Amino acid sequence: MAFFKGDRHREIIDQLSTAGTIGLHLVCSTFVGMAFGWYLDKWLGTKPWLLLVMLIFGIIAGFRNVIHEMQRIQQADKKLDQKINGTGHEDEKNDS
Amino acid sequence: MAGGLPHPLVIFRELNIALGADPAAAAGSALDPMIYPVPTHVWFTWLAMAILLIAGLMVRRKLTLVPGGLQNFFELVVGGLEDFVVANIGEKGRQFMPILVTIFLFVLTMNYLGLVPGCDAPTANINTNAAMAIFVFLYYNYVGIKTWKAGYIKHFLGPMPALAPLMLVLEIISHLARPLSLTLRLFGNIRGEEIVLVLLFVLAPLYSTLPMYFLFILAKSIQALIFFMLTMIYLKGAVEHAH
Repeated sequence: MAFFKGDRHREIIDQLSTAGTIGLHLVCSTFVGMAFGWYLDKWLGTKPWLLLVMLIFGIIAGFRNVIHEMQRIQQADKKLDQKINGTGHEDEKNDS
Repeated sequence: MAGGLPHPLVIFRELNIALGADPAAAAGSALDPMIYPVPTHVWFTWLAMAILLIAGLMVRRKLTLVPGGLQNFFELVVGGLEDFVVANIGEKGRQFMPILVTIFLFVLTMNYLGLVPGCDAPTANINTNAAMAIFVFLYYNYVGIKTWKAGYIKHFLGPMPALAPLMLVLEIISHLARPLSLTLRLFGNIRGEEIVLVLLFVLAPLYSTLPMYFLFILAKSIQALIFFMLTMIYLKGAVEHAH
């Protein structure tokens, strides 16, 4: 459990694991959307159309997931910066 | 250790035969003593449960104010995870601690079992992971419905009323993708690691597998942490206000 000791260490691991989840979220949403459309087509008998529509929805949902994850990582990154550099607000004032 | 490849897991084969499997019946069929009457990955899941139960009982039997040895280790793990959860969910997160720590320790134990020679990681079989992922999916939805009653639907509708039907479809898809991605991530990582270990063992038995052990100890811990962390994030999403 070496990576539970340092606070900074833990946050880096946290970010690393968040980054590791992005790719599969994108792919899985696409496939779930496609499977949704496939079975709806089978049920309603509207052969190719619902599959295509739900596939596109799945892709949109996947990219939405990626955007949300990125926002989470950015927020965590800001927090980490503030922790390492003391208060981050003073730096921003100096820059502007 | 072999991730489902042909390998000698002698103990559980013999156990299955003792339980009534017939090795003379067609090998490779559904009556194979490796998977009948109890499949190997279920044996190893039970082994992981037994290890955790015995460790828990050992810690509980001699609790001291100044922790030492095993108690120290568990206090470090549980304390670290509790800080992590409270930092993310807030004080509300403490009610989920038992389930979250159980998930972490259970997945961690099962992952490490794959590194023990002669053992097989139950998480290298997709059924174990799917069971856990479906449990997580049902549990966070249960928590969401319990917390918000009918208002839980707002979590699926997004911020704008005009786009609500579209968002409903998108959210349902992305919620259903969660158990799938949880399952596939853990399965792919652990299975892949086991296959790499076997291949390296074929190439150069000791010198190549020993360094990989250290890498895989880290990777397997991170996979357990990811499963725990995603469960926590989903619970957080169910407990928080819809925005």
